Amino acid sequence: MKPRVAPAIFLGIPTVFLVGLFVLPLLSMLVLSVWRTENYHIIRDFSFHNYEVLATEGAYMTFLLRSLVMASAVSLICTLLAWPIAYGITLYGGRYKLLFSLAFAVPFLTGEVLRIIALQGLLGPLGLLNGVLLSLGAAPLRVIMYTNVASAIGLVYLYLPIVVTVIYLSLLNFDQRLIDAATIFGASPARAFFEVTWPLNLFGTLIGFALCFIPCLSATLAPRFLGGPNGTLYGMAMAQQFGESGTWALGAAMGVVLFAVSVLLVVGVARLIDLRRTGFTGFGRG
Amino acid sequence: MRIKIKPGKFALLATVALSYLFLYLPVVHIGLASFARNSNFPYPPKWSLDIMARLFSNSLYQTALGNSLIIGIFAALLSTALAGLATIGLMRHAGRRAPLYLALFIAPLFVAEVLLGISSLIFNGLFLGLQGNMVSAILANTVHCFSYALLIIATQLYRYDWRLDDAAMVFGASPARTFFEVTLPLIWPGLLGAFIVTFIMAFNNLEISFYLLGATPTLPSAAWGALRYGVKPELYALATCVNLIVFVLLAVMFVLMRTGLVTFGHRPERERSAV
Repeated sequence: MKPRVAPAIFLGIPTVFLVGLFVLPLLSMLVLSVWRTENYHIIRDFSFHNYEVLATEGAYMTFLLRSLVMASAVSLICTLLAWPIAYGITLYGGRYKLLFSLAFAVPFLTGEVLRIIALQGLLGPLGLLNGVLLSLGAAPLRVIMYTNVASAIGLVYLYLPIVVTVIYLSLLNFDQRLIDAATIFGASPARAFFEVTWPLNLFGTLIGFALCFIPCLSATLAPRFLGGPNGTLYGMAMAQQFGESGTWALGAAMGVVLFAVSVLLVVGVARLIDLRRTGFTGFGRG
Repeated sequence: MRIKIKPGKFALLATVALSYLFLYLPVVHIGLASFARNSNFPYPPKWSLDIMARLFSNSLYQTALGNSLIIGIFAALLSTALAGLATIGLMRHAGRRAPLYLALFIAPLFVAEVLLGISSLIFNGLFLGLQGNMVSAILANTVHCFSYALLIIATQLYRYDWRLDDAAMVFGASPARTFFEVTLPLIWPGLLGAFIVTFIMAFNNLEISFYLLGATPTLPSAAWGALRYGVKPELYALATCVNLIVFVLLAVMFVLMRTGLVTFGHRPERERSAV
């Protein structure tokens, strides 16, 4: 029998690539997190010292809790905003649906730094908002910029496009005739929504939620440039361990914590939904 | 016909309009600011190209642009090629293990960019003994872009009729010839879309490239460095230039899709059977 070469090429190469450049780095982060850093040198003894520091030192717990609250709030806001937007585009977009959905991709694809620069142009001390207030003769607002509210606005600005896109794709693949069927059989629009549309698009909604939650949880840029002195988030504190403070091992432990929280979320989401109930028919057509 | 004001429709459309306003207001504001002499509050703008000229004469941004372009092009090429292989593999060869492979292939989506950057830094620096270099930055960006490319290509290949390949093979074409003469001509729009999107992503990436490059500047890291000392009009100009490039690329994609020069997927047979 001829050895099967094709699967080795088509599946093997990407698998080797991802194991080598994605799984191995994550494992090395796990290994480093049980070592120590002293005076910028890495000492290879096994200990859970880093995790003890993270668990006992109040500041890190505060950062983690603040990050969790921030990420949950931002993802919730994004999901709540994204639903009407995506639904509006699918219902009333007509032949311009494609244009509307691509228009959401433009801000998403402009890098994070550049979008934060744009936000500073909007919210900053010399930005558009204050400029309008000044030209109307009012006093400039000082409360928005450099607060947690600014961070949250920034994160919503950064991740709303991806949530909209995911929910939009879910709604696009959803068979709208099912709603008609439900209303013909006497369901009110609200009941049709909650018993047909919502459960059938739950999978997409949860994926959108997760794809917003995970980057928000490890956000480093938005809190640094938009948040104030009380705005330090976990991801930002972690990035500092690799920059200014040079304590790589502690940073690696923080990375492991963030990764663990993300995995817990994804596993939780995966258990929460029944794929068949959401109309998922499998990948590929064999 | 009875004309009725639908509050539901109105609310939906208002939300859509407001969200576009929210997304584009800052973009338009800095766009105007970067072409005006009164860059703090350009209403009405006093047009001038001073800021743009200052941006283009800054040699740091020129080097950074070169580096970003290299990272973007190579990461996009690699991730598109790998994702193309992976998608075909998933659909044709994975069989019952498809969910397993799919989980591995889209896992990078669920890992934050900064974690990818940091873990690659640890792996390269501590375990391989590598200094920051372009190659590791390109490879790490490829990991992140790969999953996005996979999703884009998969949505196109999902509709591809594999019996065309079988037909070519029945008539004696080798697998390679089948791929280059049947499959590739039909799926290239999906590959092009993936290439464009991953190029833009890798080009604009800060958090992965930053940790793997050491002192080599890229456009986002140069902007990040400057932003630490406060927002300057040059940064507005830089962001505007990148916005314009992204906008033009997506507009080209849109026009190609609208005019039917590029149709995604090949499905005349399926359309007929659907009737």
